[in-house]
This record gives sequence, C-alpha cells and structure tokens, in this order.
Amino acid sequence: MIFYVSVGLLGLLALSIPVGIVLFLLGFGIDTFFSSFPLTRGLGNMVWSSSNSATLIAIPFFVLLGEILVRSGVATRTYAALDRWVSWLPGGLVHANVATATMFSATSGSSVATAATVATVAMPQAEKLGYDPKLFSGAIAAGGTLGIMIPPSINLIVYGFLTQSSIPQLFLAGLIPGLALAIAFMAVTVIICLIRPDLGGRRRTFPFPQMLRALVDLIPIMILFGLIVGSIYAGWATPTEAAAVGVAGALVIALVFGGVSWSMLSQSLTGTVKITSMIMLIVIGASFLNFTLASAGLGRELTEFMTGLGLTPLKTILVVVVLYIVLGFFIETLSLMVVTIPIIVPLVLAQGYDVIWFGILMIVLIEMALITPPVGLNLYVVQGARKSGSLNEVMLGALPYCLTMLAMAFLLIAFPSIALFLPNALR
Amino acid sequence: MELKMIHSLRVINKGVALLVGAGLLLCAGFVLADIIMRQIGASFGGTEEIAGYAMALATSWGMSYTLLELGHVRIDLLRSRVDSFKRALFDVFSMIVMSGVIITIAIRAWPVLERSIVNGSRANTPLETPLVWVQLPWFAGWVWFALMSTLTTLAALSLLLKRRHDETENFVGAFAEQETLQ
Repeated sequence: MIFYVSVGLLGLLALSIPVGIVLFLLGFGIDTFFSSFPLTRGLGNMVWSSSNSATLIAIPFFVLLGEILVRSGVATRTYAALDRWVSWLPGGLVHANVATATMFSATSGSSVATAATVATVAMPQAEKLGYDPKLFSGAIAAGGTLGIMIPPSINLIVYGFLTQSSIPQLFLAGLIPGLALAIAFMAVTVIICLIRPDLGGRRRTFPFPQMLRALVDLIPIMILFGLIVGSIYAGWATPTEAAAVGVAGALVIALVFGGVSWSMLSQSLTGTVKITSMIMLIVIGASFLNFTLASAGLGRELTEFMTGLGLTPLKTILVVVVLYIVLGFFIETLSLMVVTIPIIVPLVLAQGYDVIWFGILMIVLIEMALITPPVGLNLYVVQGARKSGSLNEVMLGALPYCLTMLAMAFLLIAFPSIALFLPNALR
Repeated sequence: MELKMIHSLRVINKGVALLVGAGLLLCAGFVLADIIMRQIGASFGGTEEIAGYAMALATSWGMSYTLLELGHVRIDLLRSRVDSFKRALFDVFSMIVMSGVIITIAIRAWPVLERSIVNGSRANTPLETPLVWVQLPWFAGWVWFALMSTLTTLAALSLLLKRRHDETENFVGAFAEQETLQ
C-alpha cells in the first residue's frame, strides 16, 4: 500500500492533475484495492466535516490581512523605512529585503505574496545602486520563505489541523527558528559582502532624524504583530479570533495610510477567495486520503515496514530530510506538506519524536522547497517581477540561503529545544 | 463561442467570489464583535459554530472562481516541456479527471443533506441550527463547482477538436500565479 500510494502520487502529479484532485483519486484507489468496506460512502461527510471548521477560517482571515497590507501600499512604506535602518550594513539594501519579508511574514501567512511585493518594490532600487542581481534577487526569494515559519503561519495551521496538534503551540515553536533564520540570512549576507564587496552595492547611511521619521511607518506593523500574537498567548483569543482582530487592524492601518479604495478592497476579497479555495481543495483531499489510509490499516503496515528496515530514530529522520529535499525539487510547499503528512508523520511519531518539533522541522525543509529548482515558486515570482536577466541568476543567488536553511534543519535535529523551548516554557 | 462562454462564466464567478469574500469579511467582523462583548462580560454565543459554517460555504462556493482563474495548483514539470498541442492534451485530460472527481463529490454530498432533511437534524450546539439551512447552500456550492468544471472541460475539449488548442491555455493552463500577483 505504501508503494502504491507513493508511485500513484508521483505519477498522477506528473500528469499535472491538480494536487487536491490527486489526493481524492488516491483515496478512491485505496478504497477500491485495499479496503474491505466501502470508504467512499463517507466522502460527503468527510468533505462537510473538514470544511465546516472554525479553526480553518483563520486561513482566509490571514490571507485577507496580507492582501490588504500589500494592496494598500503599506508594504512599500515598510520597505522604505527598513531601508533607512539597515542600509549601513555590508550588503545594504539586501538586508532590507530580508527584514521586510520577515515583518510581512510576521503578519500575513503567505510566502509568495511577500516575495512578490518585495521584489516589485526593490528591483528598481537594485539597479540604481549597483547591486549584484544574483545576490539581491536570491535574498528576496529566500526572505519570502520566512512567511510560512514565523507565526501566524497558514502552513502551521494546516499542519495542526491534519495532525490534530495545538496550533498556539506550533506558533510558539516556530517563533525562535523563524527569527533565527532571518538573522542567519542577514549574517550570511554580511559575510558574503565582506568577502566580495563588489556584490553588495553602495552602502548608505541616513541622518538620524530621517531614521526616526521612518519608524512611524514601522510602528503600525509591529503593533499589529503584537496584537495578533499577544492576544493568542494572553488567552483572549483563539488563533481564529486573533486572525479576525488582524483583519480589522490591517484595515485600520490601510485607512490611516490612505490606501483603501473600492477596487483595492474587491481585489483583496477575490484574491482571498482564490487562495483559500486553492488551499482548501488540497486540505479536504488530504483529509479524505488520511481517512482512507487510516481505515485501510496504514499504521500497522508502516510499523512493519519500519521494523523491517531496522533504522534507528536518528537515521529515520535523516532519511526523511533527504526525502523532503528530493521531493522539494519537484513539489511545492503546501502540496508537499499535505501529501506527505498522512504517511511521514505517523512514521516519525512512531519513532518517539515530538509532533510539534517535527512540524517545525518539516516547515524548514518545505521553505527550502520554495527556492530549489526546477520547481520553486518564489524563484519564479522574483524572476517574474524583475523582467531582465535569467532565472539561473535567481537560483544561484538563493543557494547560500538554501544552505543556511539546511544548516538550520540539522541544528533543529541536534537541538530540538530550539523549537520546543518556548512552548514548554509557557505550557 | 467557447471563449465567450468562458468569459461569462468568469464574470459570474467573480461576482460569486466577491460575495463570498464579503461574507468572510462580515464573519471576521462578527468574531471581532464577540471578542469585545466577551471582555465586557457578554457574548453572542455560537461564534465558533457560525465561523465553521461560513468556512464550509466559502470553500464550496469559492472553488469555481479559483478554477476559472487557474488557481488550483498543478505540477507542470512534464507539461511545460512539450509543444502547445500536447500541453492542451495534458490540460484537457486533467480537466476531465477533475470534473469526474468533483461530480463524484457533489453526488456523495447529497446523502449528507438528505439525512438532515429526512431527520430534521439540528446541530448539537447551543444554537441548535437546523442543518438543512447550511447544508443546502453548501451542497449547492459543490453542484455549482461540478457544473462549472464540466462546462470548462467541454469548452476546452471542443476547442481541441476544432484544432484551436492554442486558445485553451488561457482558461485550462497551469499557473497563473505570477501574473495575478503583480
């Protein structure tokens, strides 16, 4: 059954059938070939119960929040403000790329939107100030991936939903690794630019009053982040309620900055519906596949399979890491996460690992998938925004950051407390 | 004719998406109001339940818009390596499979609604919502999606048979991601 699912999955995906539909097809297949009772009868109920969820409505809320901030021009202001603060570092504006991506991932849940925004705003500056296009665009692609790690993260909500683990705990666990990655990205940039100063463009300093004035543009975003994350941990709000608070906050910020119009609002709403339905087709498909796999006795088969292999827990995790890197070349973030959860998570948990910890490790590996060719969505988004040069330049520029993520994955394996410290401390 | 039909379907579903989006915004407002009420010691009660229903309805009615805007993720590793005729074959095949699955879902969704009608089921919650109220529009959303998917498939198939496969890319191709984010 494991073999059938794996081969079927890759084969059907290669035919370019939509990912969500592939998951349903695999479920039908398991029902036909591996189950003694008709599981497809439960399909209607599965579709109803997996979409009738007050937890998952956090997804459209967080998407809407991001759409409002991006389309009202708040992102552009943030970038300009951060530029004032970080451009004195070796690598200058590259740090503004990473920092803007970090701040936006902290409030919205979407990596791709973040990368697209930063790319559109930043690219014209890069040419003007003589930055190396490879490093510059690579940093945007990599910075954009932080969106799925730093809370609130849509991917963590989906992970929590499918593995029935605590979403607030997952958010807490993602905070330190996410910030650490952002800092590591900046450190790597500094090192690269110290070795090869010609890559880093012109460093600029701004008079202090200008820096102070720029702060005004940063404060609303910081308050918004504090409001969302704070209200969850103060116990005032569930992640869903915090997301609703975030939507209201984003609307207020957009109003204050004067970026609200009917066309902007309607674009944000339809954009939200589009992304939400895309995610939900995959989530519902995965719930159905999960259900058929569990009913057909995958758990027993997996245990036998693993005993047969005789791997130690550490070796198992290393195999899983390699698997994600390889799959990550071809499959994209959410799809990769959702199609592997039904098989990989029970396998890893059976070896005694923590479900929260593994969620974070998985996110790091999936972030890598966003910037590894040939299929790496952020690479295409950045390339799409820069309109000159080749995709190879973006790939090459993203490579150092990719290696940084890999190092982070190994750090997480060696020191699980990087992820588990906060959730355990506040439990 | 096919392209004209796709155009009208897009216009209609954009309207649907706007309604769904407005519903979500309304729901966010409702949740927010409930949090504020709770701080002063009152509560509407049942926000969770209503949020869940909103999500189920948004999901089933939003699907068609995503379909027509090429939003459902596909892996186009092989597809992107062949000429436009073979690409159209990939697309039409994937649309036929998709329509089949969606029609199956719509058919299987009926017993869920039927049971609620026959038993007059109410949600096991303080609101005791009659489930028909939410499951009927939810079911209708999946039927709508099945219909949209079938019509899109037929349009693409018809263009393919007329050897006008270059024109299908625009409504059954893969990844419109880059353009829509600009």
